[in-house]
Amino acid sequence: MTCDDRGRPGLQPTPAPTGPLRFQLRLTSDPRLLAVVRSVVSEFAAVWAFDDEACRRITLAVDEALSNIIRHAYKNQCDREIELDCEARSDCVEFTLVDHGEPLDPARFCSQPLDAIAIGGRGTHLIRQIMDEVRYERVAEGNRLCLRKYLPGARSKA
Amino acid sequence: MKTATRELAETTIVDVAGDIDMGTSPALRKTLLESLKKAPRLVVNLREVRYVDSSGIASLVEVLKEARNTGKRLVLFGLNKAVHDVLQLTRLNKIFEIRETEEEALQA
Repeated sequence: MTCDDRGRPGLQPTPAPTGPLRFQLRLTSDPRLLAVVRSVVSEFAAVWAFDDEACRRITLAVDEALSNIIRHAYKNQCDREIELDCEARSDCVEFTLVDHGEPLDPARFCSQPLDAIAIGGRGTHLIRQIMDEVRYERVAEGNRLCLRKYLPGARSKA
Repeated sequence: MKTATRELAETTIVDVAGDIDMGTSPALRKTLLESLKKAPRLVVNLREVRYVDSSGIASLVEVLKEARNTGKRLVLFGLNKAVHDVLQLTRLNKIFEIRETEEEALQA
């Protein structure tokens, strides 16, 4: 099986391998690292046979979640720790983000209706639009956010 | 992210390249708001933008609001799939004036 077929015209995405895949990243809350994480998450989704559009959207959702942590949980402090756990299972990919910052604002998490001309407030909306399941828990170490996306046909969107 | 500004008679064109995220969107916001002051119409070339997140979209919305408040126009062109997709997901694709090419944007 080759690993570099994605994006070539006429070629089908590589079939999802069997057996789970998992890796973890530990990063500081520095916005300059967002591009690095986007690159990794996009490749990870591609390995699990999501098409280009889905890879792009999954990457956007994880990026928005990280940005929310930096902006809201850590109040733009750049030297705090974020753990990102990436897991691919037979029917889905799941990203778990843990931070040690301020609790998430329930009003923000519940995603307000979009105001067409409001300046902000679209990050959570994007996450919910893209991912099939979004779960938040306040845990002993801080905040834990789980984002799950099913493979096409694996399960209808919740 | 990088920006370059060109000035025509009644229009300022800002060419944007790279990724627009929470780290780079403040610089983009500043550049666009300053450029908006220079002419009645601001045209933004997004052809070389590979990625935009909600903070980048928020910057564009803020510039659009400022344009409307000051009786000016904001026109975007050269949006690739990634940028189009984010505007669609945030339901903002109908709010902005969007053109395919620079020529079309200058005729808008």
